[in-house]
Amino acid sequence: MAFDPFRAIVCYGLFWIVRMNGCLRRARQPRLRGAGWFFDLRVPEDFYVTGGRTILRRYWMRIGIPFVVDIPIAAFIFLTGRFMLLPPLVLGLAALIHVNHVWSVHLAERQAQRLAVPDAGDPVARVALSLTPRRLRDYANGPLEWAMALSAAMAIMWLARVYTTSPAHLPARVVFGVPVTLLYVQLGAVLVKAIVVAWRAPAPLTQTAEHVDAREEKRKYYLRVCDAFRAAMTAAIVFWAIKISAPPASVAGLDRLWFAGYVAFGLAATVWIEIKRKQLVTLSLRARPVTLPDFLRQSELTRWPVCYQPSAPLLTLKGARGYSLNLANAFARAGVAYIAGLALLLVVLGSGR
Amino acid sequence: MVVTIDTTDARPLYQQVADGIKELIARGKLAEGTPLPPVRQLAADLGVNFNTIAMAYRELQKGGLIVIRHGSGSVVSSRTAAERTQAELVRPLRAALTELVLSGLSPDKIQRIVMRELRLAGKGGG
Repeated sequence: MAFDPFRAIVCYGLFWIVRMNGCLRRARQPRLRGAGWFFDLRVPEDFYVTGGRTILRRYWMRIGIPFVVDIPIAAFIFLTGRFMLLPPLVLGLAALIHVNHVWSVHLAERQAQRLAVPDAGDPVARVALSLTPRRLRDYANGPLEWAMALSAAMAIMWLARVYTTSPAHLPARVVFGVPVTLLYVQLGAVLVKAIVVAWRAPAPLTQTAEHVDAREEKRKYYLRVCDAFRAAMTAAIVFWAIKISAPPASVAGLDRLWFAGYVAFGLAATVWIEIKRKQLVTLSLRARPVTLPDFLRQSELTRWPVCYQPSAPLLTLKGARGYSLNLANAFARAGVAYIAGLALLLVVLGSGR
Repeated sequence: MVVTIDTTDARPLYQQVADGIKELIARGKLAEGTPLPPVRQLAADLGVNFNTIAMAYRELQKGGLIVIRHGSGSVVSSRTAAERTQAELVRPLRAALTELVLSGLSPDKIQRIVMRELRLAGKGGG
């Protein structure tokens, strides 16, 4: 999609509306389970009037860090009129908000650990291990997969026809650059889906059904988000095929139509995500949080944000200082290869300019 | 369909996984041809070394209870396909009965325990 300053400002404005809701949701998260809980940690009833108050306040301040980053940069952009920097800023902030949230929750829980009720973090003795195989194809939406594959294939065929017959003799990089990049991004979404499917699912023997239901619904939700993203990418490929073969006079109209569709899809997706999130919270609250046994002694395996542990089958290990990406895991290797491939693709596509 | 892992159980983890699957097969809850999860999935779910689950699967394969097909996963094999002699099958039973006798239980009590376990093992299956 081509951004002009107006569209970039609209996107940034919409991002602010959406993030405010997310910010309020994250602020309420520690007390969702009631007075005796801080996130998933069992704490004394007076936690929020004693030592917990400071921990909660610090957590709230930490989730405000993205605003501290955003406001000066946005002010600079608006003052200098470099509005085309707004979309990259939005992308960067979206990543920062999520990483910062994971880090803030982890840190707050660690700080609250010393005030938790005795034995709160003790692992349960018995766990239920599901024997149902989980494969990517078990969670695939057949008609949607076919629709996306056929639409993308038809669009690529149409572009091939445009490339071979167009009197303008457009370079291959111009004609196929966008769809190839979008297909590659789709491949990344498939990789994320595979990771979500493999997401570990042990459950305690008490409230097993509640824990399994909550985990499965969360898994399906993330998979649907990935599919919606892939569908949007496919729509963008089809739109590109239409746009490139349209007469120059109608391109501006098509761009306006695409932008309106993009905004409408974004708003609909936001509403749907909020509804699903509320349902997931209700399901999660039914299952009392427990600590599962750590057979691998993960905290002893890792101290750094990345590690190499071939014997551990997990993508991330929970070390003493936070999560650590296990580079020995097949998904981690695939992720590294994917990022390298994306960089290479961007270099190849950019080299002809 | 779940197997239970107990951290207070003296048996090693691989044995608990293997015994859990055996029990489900005996009760008919895992029918012939039922696919089992890949080693990678179970190891990741439980958060244990790959070898722990691989050992459990190997033991089940040795007992003729599952067939491991490289590339297409493991499935529960036919119960009649387990070509084991009666002497082989009776050996663990004899060992368990010896343990019970040595623990001082009366023959009547042992019989009651055996009958109860037999009923439990056959529940839902045959």
